[in-house]
Amino acid sequence: MVEQFNQPQRQSAVGIVILFFDTIQKWGRALWPVLLVYVVRFDDSNKVYIFSGIGVFLIVTAVVAYLKYLNFTFYLQDENEEFIISEGIFNKTKTIIQLDKIQQVDINQSLIQRFIGVYELNVDTAGSAKKEGRIKAISHPLALALKARLLADEKKTSILSDEQTIVQEKSVEKESIVKISFLSLLKVGITSNYVKTLGLILAFFTTLYEQSKSFIADADFDKEQFDAYVEQRSVISSIVFFFILMFALVLIINLARVVYKYFDYKVAKQNSSLLLSFGLLSTKNTIVKPEKVQIVTVTRNYFQKKMNILEIKIRQATSSDKENSKTVIEIPGCNETEKEAVFKLLFQKIPVKGIVLKPNYRKLVFSIFLSMLLPVVAFFAFAKYIQPLFYDYTYAVVLYLLFVGLIVYFGFQNNRLYINDDFIIKQSGAWDIDNRIIEPSKIQAITTSQLFWHKKANIGSIIIHTAGGNLTFQLGDFSTIKHYVNLWLYKVETSNDNWM
Amino acid sequence: MENFSNETIDTTQLPKFEEVEFTVLHADYWKVTLLNVFFFFLLAGAGLGVLLFLNRGLLVFAVGILAAYFIFLFLVLLLSRISYKKKGFAFRTHDVLFRHGIIATNTIVIPYNRIQHVALHEGLVSRYFGLAKIEVFTAGGSSSDLEVPGIAIDQAENIKQLLMGKIQKQL
Repeated sequence: MVEQFNQPQRQSAVGIVILFFDTIQKWGRALWPVLLVYVVRFDDSNKVYIFSGIGVFLIVTAVVAYLKYLNFTFYLQDENEEFIISEGIFNKTKTIIQLDKIQQVDINQSLIQRFIGVYELNVDTAGSAKKEGRIKAISHPLALALKARLLADEKKTSILSDEQTIVQEKSVEKESIVKISFLSLLKVGITSNYVKTLGLILAFFTTLYEQSKSFIADADFDKEQFDAYVEQRSVISSIVFFFILMFALVLIINLARVVYKYFDYKVAKQNSSLLLSFGLLSTKNTIVKPEKVQIVTVTRNYFQKKMNILEIKIRQATSSDKENSKTVIEIPGCNETEKEAVFKLLFQKIPVKGIVLKPNYRKLVFSIFLSMLLPVVAFFAFAKYIQPLFYDYTYAVVLYLLFVGLIVYFGFQNNRLYINDDFIIKQSGAWDIDNRIIEPSKIQAITTSQLFWHKKANIGSIIIHTAGGNLTFQLGDFSTIKHYVNLWLYKVETSNDNWM
Repeated sequence: MENFSNETIDTTQLPKFEEVEFTVLHADYWKVTLLNVFFFFLLAGAGLGVLLFLNRGLLVFAVGILAAYFIFLFLVLLLSRISYKKKGFAFRTHDVLFRHGIIATNTIVIPYNRIQHVALHEGLVSRYFGLAKIEVFTAGGSSSDLEVPGIAIDQAENIKQLLMGKIQKQL
């Protein structure tokens, strides 16, 4: 018998139990502090209150679960090829999903669902990680039938073509395009991720210190002897020693990490996809399909420029697939020619930086205000009114201003948006300079934004949304931005480019 | 082949999104906002009252608390009013626009061929006034989704129908 879904139908009636537990879970999470207070104060006098309270809570939940069940319906509208879910007791939501936008339908069963013998059916479209449609209680045959209907026609062909490509892949020769040498990895190790590794080391030592403190306190430790020992060494030499030690540690850990993670990094071309394999102990394999790529980032700092290496990060369309979501694929230590080879595969051509948009000077002023003026004012205010000892550390303020000043200045200098016909490139960063590259056809939506006091100066901001993240450029010339927004909209709306 | 032509496009002649006339939200939507603010402050006021009742020591600050309460209420009303006035939407042949913001003017544009799915939401208060909210979802994550509140329900249904039709045409 072919199941018909063209009439709005409810979930399995036993599904009320699922909704009941679901609601208890949701409310329980919000109400547990209240419950805790009552349990702590538990004595005979309020016993009645507690039990009647819990009783009322359970009854209300049951009623709500029943109403949720009554108000939740789903159906397929055949003529428009739509799947429609209506839900909500007081606040009603109707979600309409077109059948050929559905990427994935999965059928799951949690412990409670297994107990009462129902299944959960989730409908997922491209993009956002959350499930767009969720039916919490449905019988297995019905779930299977619905899944088949939801994935009718369109998907079958795509699955078939996927299988075909797999078969083909076996017979196609792999063509190696990038092989990252051990030397390049060493270069990467000594030129990147200082801050990250330093943070890790500091975190490690702090925990070690915390542990040892309790240990030292326990042991019969002669504090005076220790102090005398410390005094013997001059403070300055120990500070220098400490810094050298730290720096050496950072370098060694960096090197070890990079070599461990990326040893024997190979990029090969297979059909039109990129095949990556890397790793010291266990080799990781990843396939990158160019049409799924949304944002490509090229990162390089001053040292890396001198050594002719750079890092490429590839961000693909995020989907419900846990494997894919949030994973950024990194290719460390490429040189210029290897970069071009990768880009040719991903974009068919080398991205060129077109006309340049610079941020208005107000952006610099604002950064200075936020990260230099405010902290310094806070520091001196604290020193003046609360802790005068802070005045002794004024030299630290000078150091801070110098350091942050440099970061702010170079950050502003490097903040650029390059636009040409085929690419939009956002450059940013103070030390590690990022170039984020997107193609206009990958645009999902565009937001422009202008503060009312910037109207006269004719400056404003733009956010370009893609399925792999956003690209933001602030305080640029607003007429130019609007002009390009119109152009990009025209491009997106007149072509049916596949963005994934 | 003869019919094929490929003329240069004058990009300055492209339709300008910044010159689109925006439709303002339904007048009843302001009432919905007012009612929501009112309920919120009623609850907050009740909470404050209970607190003052249980903790008499705080009564010394009663005037201050009351003043803060009303200043806060006034600010929320003012900002809601500005926000309501600024909100506007427009449906063009190929995309949907929504304008919002209080101190900034934000305009989000979603081309129809990037829409993944659409939802109609009716809040409790909104439903009383016959208003609905249209939600448009893309693959770009929550920051690129669009919500147009304060549309009469039958109009919202029409818009939904229009959007679904537009999505289909692109395939």
